[in-house]
Amino acid sequence: MNAQSPMSSKMIAAALTRRRLLALSALAGGTALTATACSGGSSASDDPNTFTFWSFTGINQGDSVETYKELAPDITVRLTEVGSTQETAQALTTALAGGNVPDLVLIQAGDMPKFMKNPGNFTDLATLGADAIQGDYVDWVIEQVITPEGQIIGIPTDVGGMGVAYRVDLMEAAGLPTNRDEVSALWPTWEDFIATGQRYTEATGNAFIDNAATSVFLQAVSQGEEQYYSRDGELVYATNPIVRQSFDLGLQAIAAGITARLESFTEGWSAGMAQGAFAAVAAPSWMLGSIRSNAPDTEGLWDIATIPGGSGNWGGSYLSIPARAANPQAAWDYIATMQSPEQQLQHFLNSGSLPTTPENYDKPELTGLTDPFFNDAPTGQIFTQAVLGLEPFVNGEFNSEISNELLNALNGVESDGAPADAAWDTAISNIQTAIGA
Amino acid sequence: MTATLTPGRLRKPPRPTATRPVERRWEKLAPYGYVAPFYVLFLIFGLFPLLFTFYVALFDWNPIGEQTFVGLQNFRDLADDPRFWNALRNTFSIWIISTVPQLLLALVLAQVLNSAFLRFASFFRMAMLLPYITSVAATTIVFAQLFNRDYGLLNWFLGLIGVENIDFMSTALGSHLLISAMVIWRWFGYNTLLYLASLQAVPRDLYEAAAVDGAGPVKQFFHITLPSLRPVIIFTVIMSTIGGLQIFTEPLLLSNGLLTCGTARQCQTLSLFLFEQGFGSFRFGYGSAIGVALFAIIVVVAFVNFVLSSRLGKKG
Repeated sequence: MNAQSPMSSKMIAAALTRRRLLALSALAGGTALTATACSGGSSASDDPNTFTFWSFTGINQGDSVETYKELAPDITVRLTEVGSTQETAQALTTALAGGNVPDLVLIQAGDMPKFMKNPGNFTDLATLGADAIQGDYVDWVIEQVITPEGQIIGIPTDVGGMGVAYRVDLMEAAGLPTNRDEVSALWPTWEDFIATGQRYTEATGNAFIDNAATSVFLQAVSQGEEQYYSRDGELVYATNPIVRQSFDLGLQAIAAGITARLESFTEGWSAGMAQGAFAAVAAPSWMLGSIRSNAPDTEGLWDIATIPGGSGNWGGSYLSIPARAANPQAAWDYIATMQSPEQQLQHFLNSGSLPTTPENYDKPELTGLTDPFFNDAPTGQIFTQAVLGLEPFVNGEFNSEISNELLNALNGVESDGAPADAAWDTAISNIQTAIGA
Repeated sequence: MTATLTPGRLRKPPRPTATRPVERRWEKLAPYGYVAPFYVLFLIFGLFPLLFTFYVALFDWNPIGEQTFVGLQNFRDLADDPRFWNALRNTFSIWIISTVPQLLLALVLAQVLNSAFLRFASFFRMAMLLPYITSVAATTIVFAQLFNRDYGLLNWFLGLIGVENIDFMSTALGSHLLISAMVIWRWFGYNTLLYLASLQAVPRDLYEAAAVDGAGPVKQFFHITLPSLRPVIIFTVIMSTIGGLQIFTEPLLLSNGLLTCGTARQCQTLSLFLFEQGFGSFRFGYGSAIGVALFAIIVVVAFVNFVLSSRLGKKG
C-alpha cells in the first residue's frame, strides 16, 4: 500500500508544509481504506493444528472443546458461540454466500433441511470417513442428513427425546396421582392427556399446560410416519390426516381451558414456570436445563412422565464442515473423536445432551443416571425410550415455514382471541402464501 | 518520505518558479483527500449495496443455492402478497401514531424550555436527551415489562381500578400504540432540542414588537414561531419519516424475536417483513424487492412531507 506521488523526494522536501502533509495523509488514508475493504480474504488460519468452530449458545459445546484439549493437546479450537440456533444458521448462510466460513459448525435439526437443499456448500463427510462410522448413530437421525446421492452432510450430536415434566406438588393438590408410572398411565393418548388436564383445571382453577401449540400440537404432529412431506418428498401438509388431527387436538386443549396462554420461551413463560402457572410442560431432554434455570426454587418438585403416544423428538443438532473450510481435516478429527459413542456418553453425563448413539442406550451409566431436581427421575432411560420408539418422517425445504404458520394459528386462537373454527383454513392459506404451494 | 526538515530550510522563502504549480495542484486535490474517507466508505457500504439490492431484486436469489433471473416477477408477487399490504398498513399506522404526537409534543416542550422564567433550564434540557442515549434494547425490555399481560406494572394499576388485564401485543391497535410509545419516548427529546436551538435564534424584539402591536401568544406562535422554525420542522419531519418507516428493532424485540411480530402479523413492519423473507426464509431476491419498494415509498412520502411542511407558516 503506497500512495504514489508524482513528485521527486527532493521536491517534497522543499515544498513540505504541515498542510500538505495533512493532505497527503488524508489521501493515503482514503486509499488505504479501499485497499483493506477490497482485499477481503480469509482470516482463517493456515495452521493445520488450528480450526474455527461456530456453535449456538446454551448447548455447552465449550465443555466438549475443553475435553478435546486434553485428548489432543496440540490442537487449538477457536470456538465462537454465535447466538441462538436461528442466528447461527443466519450467520452460516451469510458466510456460505460469500464470507469467511468456519471449519466446523453446529446446525440445529430444524434448520438442516434448508442447507440440505444445496449440499454443495458442505464437505461430504463420507470422503473423510463418515461412511465407516454412520452405523454408530440412530438410523433415522443420520438419515436426515444423507442426500439422495449418498453424501453425508453432518454427524448428529444429540437428539431431543421427549417426556412430560410435571409438578408433583401441584398434581397432589389437585388430587391426581403423583408417581411417575401412574402419571404416565393417565395419558396413553393425547385425548387422555387433555382429559387429565381438565380434571386438574376443574380441581384447582389453574391451567394445566403452558400452551397448546408446543405442548400438544407440535408433539403430536411429530409422532406420525409422515409429517408435512410424504415419503417421496411431496407436500402433504394440507391432506395428511395426522397434521389435521394434531391441529384439532391443539384446538381441543384450548377449548378445554387447560392452557396458560404462555408461548414457549417468552418472558411470561419463564416467569409462569417459576410461579407454578402450569403443572406440566412437554419437555425434550434439553428443556430440563431451562426448567432448572427458570425455576430454581422448584428443585425436587418436578418429575418426568412419558409423553402421550410414547415417543417423540424435538430439536437435536448436527456438526457439519463447510465445503470452503480452510482446515477440514482438523475439524473432522474433532468430530470423529468427540462424537464417538464413548465421548457422547461422557458429554451426556456432563451436560445432559442425549446421545445419538444407540449402543449407549443400555449402558448402566446412562440408564442409571437420575436427576435430583426432577425427583430422581431416570432421565436417560425415559428420554432414550422416546427416541427409539420414533417413526422417522421425511423433512423438506419448507418445514419451518409450515410449522411456524400452524403454530401461529394456534397461538392466535389461544392468546389473541382469533376464531377457532377458522384457524385451520387461516393456517393453510398462510402456508400457501408463504411457500407459494 | 525521508526528508529532513531543518528550521533553516523552512525559514527560507519558497522558490516560486519550481514549486508553485505543484503546490497549486495539491491545494486543489487536498479537499478531496479530506472528504475521501467518508465517500469511500459510503461507496462501499452505502451506494454499492443500494445498487446491488436493485439488481438482486430481479432474481430468484438463494444466497447459498441457485440464482435465476426472473425480471419483475418479485414485484408482481409483492403486489399480490397480502403480507406486504399488511406490513405497509402497520408501518404507516405506527409511523403516524408515533410521529405526529411526538413532533407536536416537542414543539410545545421547546416553547416551555425556551421560557425566560424557567429555572434549572440546563438541567431540563439535558434530561430531555436521556431516553435518546439509552439503547433501544434496554428501553424495549423495560417497556415490555411495563406492558406485560400477566405481570406488567401498567396492568397491575389497571387491575386496581377493576380493568381486566390487557394484552397489548395481541391486537393491532394495542401493539401499534405500544411501539409508538417507545418511539416517542426515545425521540421526543432529540426533536425538542432541535426546535429549542432554533427558537433561541429568533430575536426577542420580534415578539416584543408583536406584543406592542397587540398580537396574543397564539398569533405570535403562528406568525413568528412557526415561520422561524420552518427549516428545522422540515428537517425533523423528513428525518422522522425516514426513521419511522424503517422501524425494526422495537417490534422485533417486543415480540420476543418473532419475525412475524404476533401470530397474525399484527405489528409486522416492512423492515421486519423484509428481514423475515431475506434471512428467515433465505429469499434474498424477494427480500430485496421489498427493500426497493420501501425505498420508493420513503422517497415519495418524504417528498410529499417536504412539500407540505414547506408551506407551513407561509402566508397564503
